[in-house]
Amino acid sequence: MADAFSSWHPLATAYDLPHRHIFHGQLLGRELAVWRADDNFINVWENRCLHRGVRLSIGTNDGAELTCRYHGWRYANRSAGCTYIPAHPADAPARTICNRTFPAVERYGLIWSGENPDGQPPMVELLETGSPFLLRNLPVNASADVVLEALRDHSFQPQGRLEGQGADMTVAIVGDYGLALTSTDGQASTSAVFFVQPVAADRSVIRCVLAETPPQSEQLKVWRHHADALGKLVNRAEATFATLPAPAPLVATIEEVPIDLSVMPEMATDRRAALRVEVSRKWTTAEGIAAFELTSIGEPLPTFQPGAHIDLHLPNGLVRQYSLTNGPGETAYYRIGVKLDPDSAGGSRALHESVRERDVLAISEPRNNFPLRRDALRTLLIGGGIGVTPMLAMAQALHVMNLNFELHYFAQSNAHLAFEEIRNTLGNSVKVHLGLSPEQTRAEIEAAVAEFDYANQLYVCGPGPMLEATRELAAAAGWPDETVHFEYFKNTNEIDDSSQFDVALARSAVTLPVPSGSSILEVLRANGVAMPSSCEQGACGTCTVPVIDGDIDHQDVYLNQTERAAGDKIMTCVSRATSTRLVLDI
Amino acid sequence: MITLYDYELSANCYKQRLMMSLLDVAYESTPIDFFPGLEHKGDDFKKINPMGHIPVIDDAGYVLWDAHAILVYLAAKFDPSGRWYPTSDPELLGETASWMLFAEGTTNTASAARLHVNLGYDFDIEACRTGAHHLFRLLDEHLWFREREGKDWVCSSDHPTIADIAIFPDVVLSEEGGVSRLDYPALRRWTDRVKALPGFIVMPGIFPLGTS
Repeated sequence: MADAFSSWHPLATAYDLPHRHIFHGQLLGRELAVWRADDNFINVWENRCLHRGVRLSIGTNDGAELTCRYHGWRYANRSAGCTYIPAHPADAPARTICNRTFPAVERYGLIWSGENPDGQPPMVELLETGSPFLLRNLPVNASADVVLEALRDHSFQPQGRLEGQGADMTVAIVGDYGLALTSTDGQASTSAVFFVQPVAADRSVIRCVLAETPPQSEQLKVWRHHADALGKLVNRAEATFATLPAPAPLVATIEEVPIDLSVMPEMATDRRAALRVEVSRKWTTAEGIAAFELTSIGEPLPTFQPGAHIDLHLPNGLVRQYSLTNGPGETAYYRIGVKLDPDSAGGSRALHESVRERDVLAISEPRNNFPLRRDALRTLLIGGGIGVTPMLAMAQALHVMNLNFELHYFAQSNAHLAFEEIRNTLGNSVKVHLGLSPEQTRAEIEAAVAEFDYANQLYVCGPGPMLEATRELAAAAGWPDETVHFEYFKNTNEIDDSSQFDVALARSAVTLPVPSGSSILEVLRANGVAMPSSCEQGACGTCTVPVIDGDIDHQDVYLNQTERAAGDKIMTCVSRATSTRLVLDI
Repeated sequence: MITLYDYELSANCYKQRLMMSLLDVAYESTPIDFFPGLEHKGDDFKKINPMGHIPVIDDAGYVLWDAHAILVYLAAKFDPSGRWYPTSDPELLGETASWMLFAEGTTNTASAARLHVNLGYDFDIEACRTGAHHLFRLLDEHLWFREREGKDWVCSSDHPTIADIAIFPDVVLSEEGGVSRLDYPALRRWTDRVKALPGFIVMPGIFPLGTS
């Protein structure tokens, strides 16, 4: 028998994965949680939450994500990456928190997987040409080889002669774990393929498919006939197995926590474009807004959370940031919206005019500096123009979790409203405001933020003046600083880089002078310090560094007033020091 | 109002709480110190139920014990639709009675294994587990065929009966007694369907379905 660990095995049958169910499976001693998402993707995961090891099969499948029963960690369809940890509502979980996944292929109505399978599940001529009909699976308390041996003597009656007995049986081998049996009685003949799933050293499941689907009126009788016949086979195999010495148990090795999970990750060195994606779809979603679906051409796409953005490296060398609009579980592609900026330096223009479907682009892994809390009693989302994109991702996550939210979407006109297909899934929670003057916009925002209550959270993204107005009105209405989350498209402040000062790197015991005309980020990189960054204009928050001592000259638009006043972090791409020395915790 | 002499961790008491919740019947719970106090074996409790076991209900002076008997009483009295205990349909009533007897079996095997593990009852644990697997295998096959007939429940009706409620807790708590349900996928799907019933409630060890 070939190495079971490099073979494909059926571990479930299509009827085992009904809507939003989690199937509890086992293969070669390893327990698996198997679930079908609403987009029909079949997930086969180690049945073990990364957090405290609880079985994921007792969790919940909401069609997009699987939630662990114990502490509510949420894992995304397809990638199995963690998207939310309820105990840390303000933080985006590290991308490295990812369940172990196994491949899944649906063929002949069976779900195939394996520890480390080669190639593809077996092709069975009988089932390729026929109309496969699934029988009931039978669990057997016997090893797979004993069951396969017993199957050689199995007999059943062909369709049309179910009541008879003594049909002629012929046996053919199908792969390493299957047998095709043909029963012939006079003119009647029926073929069935039996696959034996090695569940554990001492347990198996027989999964059986008839080559031809019987007429509807006969089906119950056929199912019953085979259940009875196989029941006898199971008794025989179990009796034989009981006489044999017990085999050594198959103990699944649980992979150790990978090293990058158990240590602090290396800092990204620069604006990396680690992923290659294909523009699988490009369309106009609203006036002046092009939408793109980006599909991986290599590894599956990394997990994202609502609020995340990617850096897109354009053919003309520019790097631009775009928020993902994906809902939870929508993991087969990244979807972004790009507004054509009339003053474009070439970013949005290139995407609108030059980039076409099937083009390959380089992007960064998603980064989330705008994480969404899911513990609010009410969440208010305000999006202006293209600023609606992160709000759509957030709204979909809140909607799936049945959390209370309102999305206020400000746009010039009906024609300027983007992503109708997403908004249509959100029910009555979307309020659209069209063609308002700045004063009218202000009045609508004022009305929207009028009531602050305990555990309310406000997220806003849009043009600078709209963000300023929202922050000011929310503060006036009593929203504490930490409940108002914002993301600017860009930093329109004029950056004053005339100052000169020293930065002391406390952990590295290095002091570096920052001359006028250079940013802290540039000086650090020039001296070999690996630093992540993204927008490099003080809007996205990627290059933040903790500050131990010194007075900060904040010039970014990422930090709020409270965070600025605290003086314990700095955006190194634009902000500087007013003191002669700044001590950084790196 | 009905008084239920109750123990939070008892599968048989939970059957009554679940039934009353599904039927929207108000009741008061009187907790009995089943473990470790063995209050149900004490002289005071034996004045209520000389058999010395719970659950027991007291419905305005009418006292009834035995978990499955109480289900019969509750459904017959409080279910105006007559579905849970289908007295007007002799065939379905017969089926219900038959599966209620099956539930005695799951109680004496799967739930007994749980009592052995959790509360140290002196049962033949291997016999309990083997018996539970035997019954689960039968029930899994039965429910698989029900699904093929387009039916969701233990009996042939298109609605649940007290038999579903009598069997459900023994099945869904079986892991606590060391009886895995891994080999019984149809049984697991049926527990999802019971959990989706309007008015479903949980107990320690029984989890709700997701929110959606």
